[in-house]
Amino acid sequence: MDLKFSPSSSQEAGSFRLLELPPELCKLIESSVDNTPYLSIKGHASEDAVLCTADKTYSLRSVVLSNTVIVATASKDAGGGVDIRDQLHEIIELVPAVPKLHKLTGLLRGLEYDEGDEDRVLQMSHYSYEQARNETQASEAEFNQGLKDRRILVLDGQLRPITPAHLSTILELLLNYLVSLGLSHQAAPVEELVSTLADEHEIPRQVTEQVVAWFGDVNEGLWSMDANAVTTEIGLGILRHHKHEPISNAVFMARWKKTVGDSFEAVVQLSLLSGNYLRNTSLASDFDETLTYFPSSGLPIEPAARFAELFLTRPRWKSEEIEPFLSDIAINSKERDKLLLKYARALTGPEGVWYTARVSFNN
Amino acid sequence: MIVPISVSTKNDNPTLPPSLARLGNDELCLIELQGSLDVECNESCDRDGRLVGKLNVDNPDKPTLLIGHHLLEGKIANLPKPLGVLQRNTGSQDSEVVPDAQEKPRGEPRADLNVSTGWTIKAVVKKKIVFSKRPMPITNLNRKP
Repeated sequence: MDLKFSPSSSQEAGSFRLLELPPELCKLIESSVDNTPYLSIKGHASEDAVLCTADKTYSLRSVVLSNTVIVATASKDAGGGVDIRDQLHEIIELVPAVPKLHKLTGLLRGLEYDEGDEDRVLQMSHYSYEQARNETQASEAEFNQGLKDRRILVLDGQLRPITPAHLSTILELLLNYLVSLGLSHQAAPVEELVSTLADEHEIPRQVTEQVVAWFGDVNEGLWSMDANAVTTEIGLGILRHHKHEPISNAVFMARWKKTVGDSFEAVVQLSLLSGNYLRNTSLASDFDETLTYFPSSGLPIEPAARFAELFLTRPRWKSEEIEPFLSDIAINSKERDKLLLKYARALTGPEGVWYTARVSFNN
Repeated sequence: MIVPISVSTKNDNPTLPPSLARLGNDELCLIELQGSLDVECNESCDRDGRLVGKLNVDNPDKPTLLIGHHLLEGKIANLPKPLGVLQRNTGSQDSEVVPDAQEKPRGEPRADLNVSTGWTIKAVVKKKIVFSKRPMPITNLNRKP
């Protein structure tokens, strides 16, 4: 059969691309007979483009081929044959990527939501949900999860990160009302809680509704509270004040238990806060053990910089102590151990394995 | 910026001859050549519609491509990963569009093109025809097509 240039090949040159499909994406496309999957390429001109499906993000990488790949289709001529539509010298590779959500924190600085700042709204700059969703290199599902994890409210279509102090206040109020109204924390009517907070504490209904949804599941108007998540957040709220002055472990635990109240006292455990505190044991005495607030979210994302900062904070770490501070930059424990091998030196002493800096950053 | 990608693998385009459709897609196939087709012409549109050569895939083990006095022998290879073939959406679909003299689609799409920019996955291809050997000169070329 004849192989010809298509009659429009000079206009069409460059209008084709080849995209290498990972198996799961291939399945998605092939199964899309009538339900078209939502795919898009996202990115600002200054960023590397990513491809987003409904719930995943892939980074795009162009691979140059030494060979030519011809895209050919059936000819429209009566004589049959095959038309060359385009000649390509590259394919685009897709690599699964972590959604680039950390940008949000910077974009939303100064837009925090705190109690009683309704008046401030008018003079504030705005950053809308739509705008952020379009500018963030993440799929829709990852973006919504990211808002939830970062405790960002959507108020009248605008993004407002809630201040930690105000969040703690709301959670404490919720816990108190669960008890005083005699509601079960596994099936509490959302409407009743939201109205109570709105009437008695002037907390806007949409704020409470979103907070409730962050800390548990709402099903048919009933809230099943995630006790661990609420307890953790309240613990963080207390610990956050002790970034510079350490608090004694015993005092902290007592205050934490008192704040969550009798019904959730049992949930309180220091391990809930792992990755957020440093334990300082001074001079062998257990009573002197103190805690300081040290959130891993405040550390650099880049592994080398993170290790440098960790070893500046402490010259040596036990492995169980350092691990919580690495979990958010390593996908799994294997990746984490790789990082430890690369950036730290393991020393086996009588008390177990200690990690120290591979290069001394101090001098 | 968001560039939407749609999927439309079932179109009413003419279908490929059955010997090529066996490669898994009945509207589109990929042919890989070592080197590239270099066409000498003054205007790039001169080559439009011109004959390149004869492709023969009747024997699936040994596809051949005859270009001028050169015969290429190839094979049908499975792609390590399936490839999606993307086509840029043009304003008024298909080939009848008048070419915009300035449009050079390589690289970043220009801002003013964004309105119509978008890509469509035309096909998912899992096999290709590869011509990787050196061409063999054919001397006793018959005049018959």
